[in-house]
Amino acid sequence: MPDWRGLVRQRLSGPGLDAAERDEVHAELAAHLEESYEGFCKEGLPEREAVHRTFEQVGGWEDLRRKISAAKRRELPVKKRVQQLWIPGFLTLVLSMTFLAMLQELGFRPRIVWSGTSPIFFYVLWLASLPFFGAMGAYFSARAGASRASALLASIFPVPALTAAFLLMFPIGMIIERVTGNHVDFSFVATVLLKDGISCLLVPGAALFVGGVLADILFGRRPWSQDAAIG
Amino acid sequence: MIGSGIKRGTAELAVLSVLQDGPLHGYELARRIEQQTNGALRFTLAALYPMLYRMEQQRWIRGTWETSANGRRRRCYRLTPAGKKKLAPLQREWAELFRALQQLTKVAHA
Repeated sequence: MPDWRGLVRQRLSGPGLDAAERDEVHAELAAHLEESYEGFCKEGLPEREAVHRTFEQVGGWEDLRRKISAAKRRELPVKKRVQQLWIPGFLTLVLSMTFLAMLQELGFRPRIVWSGTSPIFFYVLWLASLPFFGAMGAYFSARAGASRASALLASIFPVPALTAAFLLMFPIGMIIERVTGNHVDFSFVATVLLKDGISCLLVPGAALFVGGVLADILFGRRPWSQDAAIG
Repeated sequence: MIGSGIKRGTAELAVLSVLQDGPLHGYELARRIEQQTNGALRFTLAALYPMLYRMEQQRWIRGTWETSANGRRRRCYRLTPAGKKKLAPLQREWAELFRALQQLTKVAHA
């Protein structure tokens, strides 16, 4: 008898479903095919014919994959989105920023890479810790059944959050400076933003991403949600 | 054989009607519909499961994993109260449509 589960997994591989849904859908479709095949065998069909007739019931693997993805994506429940992205993402953001504040409180000094009017500085210990926080975000996201893309997004969640804060700060700061009558050179502000962007967003983002990728390599292929899905 | 457009419209009604008699897993559901319609409604997996998942999202049906007597795990679908509520007007609408079509064909043949 063919390995229906393996066959379904192989034919329906590709993006579209998160890990929990994928396992559940594969198990269900494999069970259907298995019963169908056994039904044909009981009718007296030779094995080859039974397999052929069972395959006919699929109606096209690509069509099946596409339609299931569309049906499942149509309404991603809010609860699921919260569990797969927002909670792990915020956890990554809060813990990484708390750790940075703690380092500053303990008197750790940043390493200045570029000296001048607006230096670029890095908290090396903090940067070294970020892959861990990124991995943690990706791990919790994957555990909640998120797709690889969602898990990686959860791992680098502090970057878009801080970018949004940066982008908000820029016009607000300009308005305040104008109201208070201070003249601020735009090119100076842009330089500061660029350098802060590198030290606070780009490099930390890369460190978080490395952690997310490592978590995906180490844990991403395990069926985290197997119990929840089939239980 | 009924055309695909009509089939799409009747598919939900067929699933809800069959589940009215009790919970069924996907294979059994498809088989029951095929038997009860003398083969006029036949579902491929690509037609059946996306529809079941959509109906589940709409909370008309609910799927749960169950273990059968032979130890096999199957996802069984049952009608929810919302599904029962949906079924009654659907049945009425389709009955009206078929009556109207019958009238029309009678007139056409007269």
